[in-house]
Amino acid sequence: MSRFRPPPWFVLLLPAIIILSAVVLIPLLLSLYSSFTPYRLTRPETLYKWIGTYNYEKAIESAHFWAAFGRTILLLTIALNLEMLMGLGLALLVNKVTYGQRTLRTVMMFPMMFSPILVGFQFKFIFNDNVGLVNNALQSLGLSNVAIPWLVDGQLAFFSILVAEMWSSTSVFAILILAGLFAVPRDPIEAAKVDGCTPWQSFRHITLPYIMPFIYIALAIRSLDVARAYDIVQIMTNGGPARRTELLWTLIGRTGYVDAKMGYANAMGYISIFLAIFFTIYFFRKLNAARSELGMAG
Amino acid sequence: MGNQRLKSLLCATALVAVAGNAAAGEFDGVTLQAKLIGGQQYEALYARIGEWEEKTGAKVDVISKKNHFELDKEFKSDLAAGTLGWCVGSNHSSFASQYPSLYTDLTPFLTADFIAEYVPSNIAASKIGDALVMLPRAQFDVSALYYLKSVYEDDDNKAAYKAKTGRDLAPPDTWDEYKEQAIFFTDAPNFYGTQYAGKDEAIVGRFYELVIAEGGQLFNDDWSPAFNSDAGKRALKWFVDLYEAGAVPPGTTSYLWDDLGQGFASGTIALNLDWPGWAGFFNGEDSSKAAGNVGVKVQPAGTAGVRTGWSGHHGFSVTESCDNKEAAASLVAWLTNEDSQKLESSAGPLPTRTAVWGHVVSSAEGDAYRTEVLKAFQAAASHAFPAPQTPYWIEATNLIYPELQAAILGDKSIDDALSDASEAVDEMMQENGVY
Repeated sequence: MSRFRPPPWFVLLLPAIIILSAVVLIPLLLSLYSSFTPYRLTRPETLYKWIGTYNYEKAIESAHFWAAFGRTILLLTIALNLEMLMGLGLALLVNKVTYGQRTLRTVMMFPMMFSPILVGFQFKFIFNDNVGLVNNALQSLGLSNVAIPWLVDGQLAFFSILVAEMWSSTSVFAILILAGLFAVPRDPIEAAKVDGCTPWQSFRHITLPYIMPFIYIALAIRSLDVARAYDIVQIMTNGGPARRTELLWTLIGRTGYVDAKMGYANAMGYISIFLAIFFTIYFFRKLNAARSELGMAG
Repeated sequence: MGNQRLKSLLCATALVAVAGNAAAGEFDGVTLQAKLIGGQQYEALYARIGEWEEKTGAKVDVISKKNHFELDKEFKSDLAAGTLGWCVGSNHSSFASQYPSLYTDLTPFLTADFIAEYVPSNIAASKIGDALVMLPRAQFDVSALYYLKSVYEDDDNKAAYKAKTGRDLAPPDTWDEYKEQAIFFTDAPNFYGTQYAGKDEAIVGRFYELVIAEGGQLFNDDWSPAFNSDAGKRALKWFVDLYEAGAVPPGTTSYLWDDLGQGFASGTIALNLDWPGWAGFFNGEDSSKAAGNVGVKVQPAGTAGVRTGWSGHHGFSVTESCDNKEAAASLVAWLTNEDSQKLESSAGPLPTRTAVWGHVVSSAEGDAYRTEVLKAFQAAASHAFPAPQTPYWIEATNLIYPELQAAILGDKSIDDALSDASEAVDEMMQENGVY
């Protein structure tokens, strides 16, 4: 009688398979299943009632959902572009520094060390219409004599959230781009100088192509971050007032945890995941293109 | 023995046992498990559990002590898992309707005289249907009107108001007068007539009480929405008019209780409908710029002649599955009896028994501010009513408040906002199988 012996590759992978199943696969399947049920946290028996694609249809027909979806894409687009430009500028400046660069790099990382919840509270206070720093400064300097409703007006609230996001995350771009700048070989730049290139020409045609892979990595990481933006917005405006700053995850979070409608929230979550997948694929394609331009494609 | 005879015997035993006084050794050997609200301010009362144990011979085993939000989750998982071996639980009038099957009706275990010693509106708010599911403790919340006395004492204000309206300037007694005065006092951005909670359950609670004060209802008897009515429109108009007139800080739609408390304490708000817990803070030299300048009055009435009075209170309940309901009811009565409420209200919270109200008011004699506060809140309490007793209250508020905000900020007309909110609540109720 021969005992069944699993192949060695399977035995070696088994711990990883068990852990990944427990923490990723099973919850993922369970949440996918629950999105086809009217599951409410407060009524566990609802998990066993199959309602087909009702939740998906409801989400697809919901104007509030698509408004939040559109707003999230808008925030993503503006925040990523501005953070990238500012991070690039910051990295180029820090790269020029010859004394105390390490200290500067550490200081640059300070905003990343704050919990997003605290960043939310900090900017909620800064932009408070009555006792906030910005309004008080504007009034004291004589630039304004009214209380500007930063967190109430739709566009101003969007701007305030954008500022908070940028404050906390521009340094992600700066640090990654700086790492890219360190990796740029000196020879082509010196050769360009000898050939009479202007600083702009050597930046545009030599430095930038070298750091593009780093920029795309930063964009991919931050696109996932912003697409699931929740904490800062939740604290600053909670998606309001009147849904003016509602993003996907503030809507989904409220539906799932406050209204306890987890089935519907999961359905919205699965639709939203396509957004994240789309941006990730897009940036990874760009990354590969940038790498092959440098002859690094594998 | 017939069921009826057994019931009457049980009730007779219970009635002797309860009425707030425990008889010696009557529950020898009984152990009751309890899940109670935890927190510094609630602990003093729990010391009296030991006295009850000594008197009755029973033992109380507190198996959980958490805040209400955590207890709420625990009760729900107990219901889901069927782990209901415990007997006594802390309850709250805003949560009670979510677990209608969890707690037993306490009426058979108490004398009518004993129940009559509580403030009637508090007892009404402790019922689900006809079942008295909890006995209220001395932790009661209702809002009264706080105002800055200086704005009413100012001679220029008096003369200008008289010239404008033909009436003498005095703290308002109706919500229309309140609105008129708030607009009159405003000198933005340095001084505002009033402010209101602008989001979440808070604004819907305020809207709810105004709808009642205007003679309307938030829900019909079958829980279909009833606020898309003339009363609802008048109530929402109150919020919209104040915002449009600039008589509230522009950020008011993002304010919650803490923002309102801090706002009034900054001395830049003339009129503020707020909870009793702020009374000390508003008049504290260290905490408030309004200290010494605070007046308190019963909350105004709407055009229907009804005063607002959205309220909430803590209480204790006995589970339906408890195997010794008499002992549990005796404990609950003990924890909310006159002595217990005197003890608890001596630290500041408002009582829910008529005699204890008299006691706290008379013990505040000599302290003019405290007396004014207590008298105002005693009057406020007599107009109190609880949040709508549906398990879908919070979900409904999440559908209503963005629409109220949309009307306040001018994104929608009052009619459209209420119609959209009503439609959303109607759909939600139907989806939940309410009707």
